[in-house]
Amino acid sequence: MDFGSFLGAPELKVKIVTYRDIFQNKAMIEDRFGEEYKNSSALIKLDPSDLKNLNVKEGDTVTVKNSFGNIVVKAEESGYETAHKGIAYMPNSPWSNMLVSDETNGTGVPKFKDIEATVTSAKGAKVTDLEF
Amino acid sequence: MEGNYYVCTGCGLLCDDIEVDLEKDAVSKVYTACRVGVAHMKEGSREASFLVDGKPVDEAAAVEKAAEILKNAKNPLIFGLGTSTNEAQKKAIGLAKKLNATLDDTSSFCLGPVVEALLQEKFKTCTLDDVRHKGDVMVFWGADPSDSHPRHLSKFSYFPRGEQKQKGWEEERTAIAIDIRKSHTAKICGSNFYQIPPGGDTEFINALIDGVSGKLPKTSFGYPPKKLLELANILKGAKYGTIFMGLGLLYSLESLDPIIKLVEVLNEKAKGEFHLIPMVGHYNMRGFNEHLFAETGYVNCVKFENGEAKHGTEYSTVEALKAKSVDAALIIGSDPLASLPRSIVKNLLDIPIISIDPCETLTSKKAAVHFSTALSGVECGGSAIRMDGVDVSFDPVLKTGRPSDEEILTKLTEVL
Repeated sequence: MDFGSFLGAPELKVKIVTYRDIFQNKAMIEDRFGEEYKNSSALIKLDPSDLKNLNVKEGDTVTVKNSFGNIVVKAEESGYETAHKGIAYMPNSPWSNMLVSDETNGTGVPKFKDIEATVTSAKGAKVTDLEF
Repeated sequence: MEGNYYVCTGCGLLCDDIEVDLEKDAVSKVYTACRVGVAHMKEGSREASFLVDGKPVDEAAAVEKAAEILKNAKNPLIFGLGTSTNEAQKKAIGLAKKLNATLDDTSSFCLGPVVEALLQEKFKTCTLDDVRHKGDVMVFWGADPSDSHPRHLSKFSYFPRGEQKQKGWEEERTAIAIDIRKSHTAKICGSNFYQIPPGGDTEFINALIDGVSGKLPKTSFGYPPKKLLELANILKGAKYGTIFMGLGLLYSLESLDPIIKLVEVLNEKAKGEFHLIPMVGHYNMRGFNEHLFAETGYVNCVKFENGEAKHGTEYSTVEALKAKSVDAALIIGSDPLASLPRSIVKNLLDIPIISIDPCETLTSKKAAVHFSTALSGVECGGSAIRMDGVDVSFDPVLKTGRPSDEEILTKLTEVL
C-alpha cells in the first residue's frame, strides 16, 4: 500500500508580487497569443526553500489558486540572494490577473502587486491557456 | 532633430533617435532602440480590417454599427487612449462630452494620482533632459526602468555624459534603488540597493525624513539605522536629485503625502534641489491626463453630463465595471481583458465592446465592432507628451491603408 497517497501534496501559502519583464513585454508585442509570451508570463518565481518544501523542481508546473482563480504555471527559482520565503513573484500578465482580488475598497485600484494564494505541485499538468 | 530619425512610441520615454531600414514597405531593421522598441517599430504593416461580430465589413459599416451601439447606450464607457496621439485623445474627450459618457484611462489604476499631484504643482519636478545634463543623484523607487523604460538609464538618467556631468556615472552620478526585490535596475545600483519588505514604503519614507532631519531613523521591520542614515546623507549631498516613482511605490502608499513631504524636506535639507518624476509607462498616458485636466480639472475618472464633468472613483473603469454602471464600452488602444483582474473585467463581456486597436487582443476578439487602426508613431504621425511633460511630434515610418484612431473617432463623432 502506498502510504504517501493518504497524505495531501504539500501546500504553500504565498504573497505574490507582480513585476515587469522586458523579454516578456517584447514577446507580447510580437505575438500576444504566442508561445514565447506564454512561456515568459505563465510562471511563478519562488524561494529555493519553498520549492523544496513543495517538492517541486524548477520548470515543473504548479497550481496557484485563491478564491478568484486557479491557474497552472511553471515554477522557477527566483535567483535572488536574499531569502524570501512565502513571497513569490510573477510577471504582470493576464495569468497573474486571474488571481487578483475584486476587492478595491472603492478606490478603483486593484491589488495587482499584493495577491494571496496557495501553491501546490501540478507536476505533468499543462500551463493554463489564455482564453476567456 | 535633424536627419532621418524617428520617434519610438514603445514607452513613455519617446526616444527620438531611432533609425530604420525598410524592405517591401515594412520595417526590416531598427537601430538605436531597445529590445521593446525594436519589436514595436516592426509591429506595423498589417492589413486594414473592420469587423462586426467577427465578420469583415467595410469601414462605413463598422462606423455605423459602432455609432448605433453608442447611441443606444445610456452610459457608455470610453477607455484606453494611453497609446493614442494628443490629437486622437482630444477627439475622444470631445466624443465623451457629446455622448455624456464615462471617460477614463489606465492611469486610474496606475500612476494617475501622481500625475494629478504633479499638475496641481504639489511637488517639484523636472525633465529627463535636466536629469541628463545636471542630475547627480537618482532614486528608482518601486521602479525598474531596465525592464519598463529600457533606455532610461542609458539615454537620460545614469550613464550619459551631460552638459554639467562630463565625467558621467563613474564619478559624478549615484543611482539608488529602493525596492522589495533585486530588480535589474537594482543590480546596476550595486551597493546602493535598499531592500525593504512589501508594504514597507511609508515607514521607510518616514524613517528617511527623520534621517535627513537629523533624527534617528527607525522602522518596525528593523531596517539598520546606519544604512538608512547612509542613504539620507547621499540624498542630502545631492545638487540635483530626482526620485523616479514607480508603481511599486505608489501601490504601497495609502496616500501620496509622505513622498511629497520627503521631496519637500529634501529641498530644504539637500545641498541643491530635489524632484519627482512619475515613471509613466504608456507613451502618451501623460498626454491624456494633461488634456483632460485642462478641460475638466481632473486627470481621469470623469462622467460627462450636459458638458459638465463629474469626477470620482465610481467613474473609474474598475469601479464602473464592478458596479455594472456602464452599458457599452469604446476601448481605444488598450486590452483590459488582459490587463485588468479577471474577477472584475469579466463584467465587460456582458456589454457591447467597440475596439479600436492596431493589434488583435483578447478584448478585440470579444468586440462587437473592431477597427484595426494604424500604429501611431509607425504608421501614423502626431504628437504626444513624454513621461516628463515634454511635447514630442513624430512622423510615420510606413505608409498604411489603415486609418488612424483619430480618423475613426472623427468619423464616429460626425455620425453621432
